[in-house]
Amino acid sequence: MQTVLSPQLQEATQSLIDNLLASELFMHYQEARKLINEDSEARPLMERLSNSQATVRQQQTSGSVGQAEVDSLRLIQQRVLRNPVILDYAQSQQEAVDFLREINAEISQLLGIDFASFAKHATC
Amino acid sequence: MTSTELNELDIATPTVVVAAARDFAASLAETSQFQAFEQAAERFRQDQAAQQAMGAYQEKQIAWRGLIMLNALSAEQRTELESLKNAFVNLPIVEEYFKAQSELATLCQTVGDAISESIGFNYAAACGESCCG
Repeated sequence: MQTVLSPQLQEATQSLIDNLLASELFMHYQEARKLINEDSEARPLMERLSNSQATVRQQQTSGSVGQAEVDSLRLIQQRVLRNPVILDYAQSQQEAVDFLREINAEISQLLGIDFASFAKHATC
Repeated sequence: MTSTELNELDIATPTVVVAAARDFAASLAETSQFQAFEQAAERFRQDQAAQQAMGAYQEKQIAWRGLIMLNALSAEQRTELESLKNAFVNLPIVEEYFKAQSELATLCQTVGDAISESIGFNYAAACGESCCG
């Protein structure tokens, strides 16, 4: 069942979202995300990293990790660590997350509950 | 005025964002779900029978933690633990507390999902501890 938010809570939520998105750290993160999506080298590299990691994980599960796949993953990881667009994206994301944690701490302190824990969907 | 200066005017300072977070918390605190949870939590804290039932259940859980993790409880131990758990969770005041907690969680999840969709990553996952250790 869909929970209906009161107009007051809806407005306060939207104001929090708008202000978060207008903060320097989130603006930097959004810009870095846009750049990584548009970059002809960074995006395919991230996709290759993700695919290679998935393959190695799959091989680890089945107990037959191939040396060629591990070497390939290391090579991609080295290229990722040298790519300025990816590094800027990773750093901006970490800074945005740190800021979000501060905001969550503020909300939680006022409410007397950890808001993020209540907002988390049960998965395990 | 340059476009950079205009952009700078559009930036929300950390103080402004914190103020918006406080307004948000105040609005959430005024909801019926939050107030019902606070009242239920207070009744639960003040109820001696509920606290004793919780204590008895938790005591056994701690004492048998190793066996529980290894799934090595005997049939008698399993029955005793189940009985202590039922004696706790079936108390009306505890049921009310869990119901209020669940209703507040549903509200917080709706709000959290709205924030997550807008900011580009999962709010609860970014701020919370992993539930899987």
